Amino acid sequence: MLGLRAVARHSGFSRPATTLITPRARHIQTATVKDADIARLAAKPLHPLTLADLCKHGRPPLSEQALLNSANFTLDILPSRLAHRIQSLRSLPYIVVANPNVSKIHGNYVHSLSTLLPYAERRIETLKEEVQFTEVMADLVQTHSNTIGILARGFLEARKYITAKEVTRFLDEHLRARIGTRLIAEQHIALHFSSKPHNDLSDSEHQNPHAQESTYIGVIDTALKPADIIRRCEATVGEICELNYGVRPTVNIIGHPETEIAHIPMHLEYILTELLKNSFRATIEAGMEKEPIEITIAPAPATEEQTRLLKNKPEQAVQHTEGVITNYDQGSVDYASGSNKPDLSASANIRPLDKNTPGVTIRIRDRGGGVSPENYAKLWEYGFTTFNEDEINDKVSGGNGNSGGTALDAISGGAGGSSSLAGLGYGLPLGRAYAEYFGGGIAVQSMWGWGTDVYLSLRGVGKIG
Amino acid sequence: MLLCRRLPLRPLQRAFPRSQALTRPYSASTTPPWRPSVILDEWVQRESRPISLRQLTFFGRTLTEARLLSSANYVRLELPTRLAHRLRNMQTLPYAALTNEHVAHVYELYYRAFELFRKVPTVQNLDDNERLCEVLRTALTEHLTVIPRLAMGILEIQDSVSGDECDRFMTTLLRSRISRRVIAEQHLALTETFNSPWHFDGKMSSVAPEDEFVGEIFLKCNAREIVEKCAKRARELTSKAYGNKVTIPEIVLQGHLDTTFPYIPSHLEYILGELLRNSIQGVVEQSGSSQPPPIEVLICEAAQQVIFRISDRGGGIDRDILPYLWSFAKGPRRSKRLKNLGKVPRLAATMQELQLPPSIPDQTENQNEAETLGFGGSSLSSLSARRPDLRLGIGLPMSRIYAEYWAGSLEVHSLEGYGCDAFLQINRLGNKNEVLSTRAAMDGV
Repeated sequence: MLGLRAVARHSGFSRPATTLITPRARHIQTATVKDADIARLAAKPLHPLTLADLCKHGRPPLSEQALLNSANFTLDILPSRLAHRIQSLRSLPYIVVANPNVSKIHGNYVHSLSTLLPYAERRIETLKEEVQFTEVMADLVQTHSNTIGILARGFLEARKYITAKEVTRFLDEHLRARIGTRLIAEQHIALHFSSKPHNDLSDSEHQNPHAQESTYIGVIDTALKPADIIRRCEATVGEICELNYGVRPTVNIIGHPETEIAHIPMHLEYILTELLKNSFRATIEAGMEKEPIEITIAPAPATEEQTRLLKNKPEQAVQHTEGVITNYDQGSVDYASGSNKPDLSASANIRPLDKNTPGVTIRIRDRGGGVSPENYAKLWEYGFTTFNEDEINDKVSGGNGNSGGTALDAISGGAGGSSSLAGLGYGLPLGRAYAEYFGGGIAVQSMWGWGTDVYLSLRGVGKIG
Repeated sequence: MLLCRRLPLRPLQRAFPRSQALTRPYSASTTPPWRPSVILDEWVQRESRPISLRQLTFFGRTLTEARLLSSANYVRLELPTRLAHRLRNMQTLPYAALTNEHVAHVYELYYRAFELFRKVPTVQNLDDNERLCEVLRTALTEHLTVIPRLAMGILEIQDSVSGDECDRFMTTLLRSRISRRVIAEQHLALTETFNSPWHFDGKMSSVAPEDEFVGEIFLKCNAREIVEKCAKRARELTSKAYGNKVTIPEIVLQGHLDTTFPYIPSHLEYILGELLRNSIQGVVEQSGSSQPPPIEVLICEAAQQVIFRISDRGGGIDRDILPYLWSFAKGPRRSKRLKNLGKVPRLAATMQELQLPPSIPDQTENQNEAETLGFGGSSLSSLSARRPDLRLGIGLPMSRIYAEYWAGSLEVHSLEGYGCDAFLQINRLGNKNEVLSTRAAMDGV
């Protein structure tokens, strides 16, 4: 059971407030979700979420009013996102959604929506309500923590009834939307823990140890150093390599290792772990572990205006120009339910971010022999399309993912057990979804017979001086 | 050139409305005159027969008179067919596009060439072949102005034709142009080989296999040599342009240096030349007078392909032009490009024809090479007649068309603020057909 502890860890805190959780014994109010509710909520347009949106309530510690604002903002945008997901799921063939795994996920979404319906038409105006709301958020995060693994298995089992292409399209959209939903919830939770009312209410041993650090705004680290994350991932992946292969490749960081950007550490860590796994494994299997893997960190120059804004008023560091992050990047297009292209209304809540905001490009170069042309064509497909029947049976029969896979596969996705992502081939497409979410991307260039170059570009809200 | 032409009314033409058959004054525009489309229709109906590098090679290896004549007839029919397809493309552009003087000029050039080629009778002996070759040479020379003209025209007609359509149009035309010149130049080269004193009818030439050219195709293009040659040229060019106060970066090679493969050297040299030149300019402008970081070229060989990676630290590509990197028509620097294009009278776009202006001493080297390869002689204006800082904005998209022509690819990744990586992939088997715009694609327009 993960609960708030895991969320808190991800957010950079190490001590949860025990006043809030008891796993599964929370008394959260729910309301029955009717079809009409779903239809009504899903009809609302979705707007791309920006990092600026998440930062706009101010730097922690948040005042009471700011905290309530955050809660209400979250309340405004979450229900319609959940409704879109439900509708999207319901548009899949009956027999697919009837699969126990897929059905479970569907049920989870309906449950989450049911916890939010009691707040419909209401604003959160007192601290007590806010605490309850945060519990609802925690419940949401926990409920959906294993979604991908379970969905993956469900689709594998139902592969006879739906084409690979349809599944890929659904997953592309769903996983991207999921990133946003979790982010919104986790951000509010993190802001809650770093707010003044929370600090006042808890006793000193539960104080947020990061309270004095000014770089975090919720789950966003405004002074994130990619080099640090790279070293962390290198250590994790390297250790496993040593255990399994007896050797571990080294990593050279060149360019500007001191670069800092505003981004979400958890996302970056996931992406880099996946990329390094690929590079390390390829390098070792090609016998080239003596050749270091070369990582170049290249910061894009930020304009002075942006840097100034970011230091003082992060909520204003936004440009309204062409090249916006699209609804596709964030999974808000909703192919399955047929409701495409929600039109942009002048919502004050979410504003488009210039896709060209400066960020950082990270290039990972290895000598692992490259990706073969056959595999290159399937690089971005979710793994199930590349397995043969034996492999599928293996995974579907509830194997813990380690049989037939290497130990490197086991570090996918975090949570262990049968619902892990281990060996399912989701790493690259999911990594790309994370990168593209705020306007970045991943490009893979293979030189068959030599090695691979991977270009990871990230857009932030700009550079903090 | 007559603006109006009275044609005797033949039975077929009554199908056309009267107004089209009559002449009309044209209002201050350079729109090309109307011609009956019946003739063109016939040729448009034909399919072009694409060839592969391997076919070209095998065909030319054992040259007999019969083969030469067969090649001549292939050329005689393919050229007007492909020209007809492109003419039809141009005819279906919005009218406003053809009122542009550059586009109209190219249209006229193509139409004249079409008329010339379609009237060539079946080639039955070597004399006929000689006549065909004469026609080919004339056309090849006349059409050297096409690329800059088209590029200028494209930039000017932005109001009537969308950027995307312009790009598609330009790509189609350029592909076809490459293909026609390849076929024509190959045939001319084969004729020359056949006529040369070292050729014995039916036997392989006595030239050592390693040096073997089959027409324009060099069977053993050595990756290292080509890169070094292009690197040397590019560095010289930029060095002369920027003067002494600037240090030109070194170009360092690594990887599978002894790779060889069959290819048309002029194509490869053009692409590498453009890429290296971009890199050098980027680095020079980024580092100024201080010690510039070297440009690294990696050559990587696999069973089916050869990959060149050109990696520089020249600061990457500006954000404002990055989305338009591969476009001929779109982008924020249009007016500048237009101006610069006007300064380049002719652009044959191959490194072979690249010559330094007479004031530069090593011109003799280039001339000899040009002569040995049979065509592309010294009278042509060249890419390098322009100063390296005269940015035309078409190098990358044109290089990509050349790369893709024999089923290769060109990709560029920019690390903004740091540098650029360009990946050129060449198919070394030579068994893929030329990439042409098909009839189906055309009809779909």
